[in-house]
Amino acid sequence: MRKVAIVGIGHTVFGNLSEFELVDIMSFASGNALEDAGILKDRKIIEQVFVANVGGGIINHQTGIASSLVSRIDLEPAMAELVENGPASGSSAVKAGFAAIASGMVDVVMVTGGELMRTVTGWKGTDFVAMLTHPEAEYNYGLTLPAFAGMFTRLYMKKYGLTERDLAMVAVKDHENGAKNPYSHVEIPCTLDAIHDGENANVVNPYIAEPIRLYGACPVSDGAATLILCASDSPKMKFFTKKEPVLITGMGAATDTHCVHNRKDPLELTAVRLSAEKALEMAGLSPEDISFAELHDAFVILELAISEEVGFFEKGKAKEAIKEGVTRIDGRLPINTSGGLKSKGHPLGATGVSQIFELVKQLRGEAEEGRQVKDPEHGMAVNFGGFGNNVVTTICSKE
Amino acid sequence: MVDFSVYELKEPEVYAYKCPDCGALYYPVPMICKKCSARRDPSGVIFSSWEQVPLGGKCKLLTWTRVYALPEGFDVKYLLFGIVEFENGLRASGRLLVDDPRIGMELDGKVGIVKEVVGEDIYGFMFDLPD
Ligand SMILES: [Zn+2]
Repeated sequence: MRKVAIVGIGHTVFGNLSEFELVDIMSFASGNALEDAGILKDRKIIEQVFVANVGGGIINHQTGIASSLVSRIDLEPAMAELVENGPASGSSAVKAGFAAIASGMVDVVMVTGGELMRTVTGWKGTDFVAMLTHPEAEYNYGLTLPAFAGMFTRLYMKKYGLTERDLAMVAVKDHENGAKNPYSHVEIPCTLDAIHDGENANVVNPYIAEPIRLYGACPVSDGAATLILCASDSPKMKFFTKKEPVLITGMGAATDTHCVHNRKDPLELTAVRLSAEKALEMAGLSPEDISFAELHDAFVILELAISEEVGFFEKGKAKEAIKEGVTRIDGRLPINTSGGLKSKGHPLGATGVSQIFELVKQLRGEAEEGRQVKDPEHGMAVNFGGFGNNVVTTICSKE
Repeated sequence: MVDFSVYELKEPEVYAYKCPDCGALYYPVPMICKKCSARRDPSGVIFSSWEQVPLGGKCKLLTWTRVYALPEGFDVKYLLFGIVEFENGLRASGRLLVDDPRIGMELDGKVGIVKEVVGEDIYGFMFDLPD
């Protein structure tokens, strides 16, 4: 297998971008990555484009998005395809790009993920995301991802003694990081007093899917992110002299039952564990080697559960880590240094690409003041699709 | 002759499906049996369409939530949802009609209208206190 390097990264701000078109925001992130890679003029060296998006055909009334993007930023005749894997579409598209290069088929790939969801009402947006649940046994009931996260949280609380205050502490930590990230949807830091301890906390932070409160879930965001990949043994690496390349050293993915109720132990996120095991094995690393991680905290409970499932902490112990500050930016294992989905936002197709964008920023030492991890070697991103039925893990390392 | 059978009112039901080869029960129905790999053909033309077994009755609540931000098509302030385990070991998600649920409580799984779409009522599980 050939080694694959990330040689360029691009991002739009996450938030409400409903005044723009879907392909325009994707184009913007792509343009930023071309500039970052130093190949804006030589962009035609890109042979293959993978686009990650979920709702184009459903909420933006547009299909053939990969072809549209290629044409809008003058990349023809590059090959172009769309990759859809729900909220894990972004990492799946990166995985497709990784495989295309590792196999020897192409040398230079661009991966762009994007989503434009704020153009429809909250009602419709919730329905759109819920479409990935089982049509007959889940979706018909009005079951949504927050509903599954709520049921998961209740079980987790009962088994491990997790409290609402512990969950609020995760949100506070994520917002602290997100406030320093210029791409964040929610840039305002929040305090434990405002969302849990204080008198008005119940008003500021109401239940959305008990026992999950507003600050336990990510916002609905628009946005796009891009990575440019190149085979590290390719002569075309000579184009990428502007930045130090970062290597993709491990990738793994796994699936689980479509219906949540069909999992033997509903608290086990088997696909998370298997995808991380595969990625770690490919990288030749163990969980202790990881310097920092971006974990799919569409709900803050998932940051805790994923961090245990990938082997960072024992089951039920992630809450101690949050209390002891282990996962803060200056802790032993910083988690969601970007602010995570919780604060940075979660434009479905963009999220996985954005997580890896953050790994590259940290490994290059380019993170903004106050949120740069000290001398990181290896970063891990876990991108969680469905309610854990399709998960992709990526490990990036300094060359 | 007028065919009156179309006017017969039938209690709506939710079904589990039984593999014709090994007897394994599933909800919802798969296309290949996890245990013996028997295939299913919904039309029953090439392979068996599998036997329908009514699912419901006595069950135990495994977990639940009360959801306030509902998707399009559900015009109420909140709904309760739960996952239950029936006596035959099958599990299902559905609507919860108990306002003060507890994990482990005994419930009765009935079938009712869970969603009204124009021209069509969609039936599904409603979990309530036993009569
Ligand atoms: Zn069978």
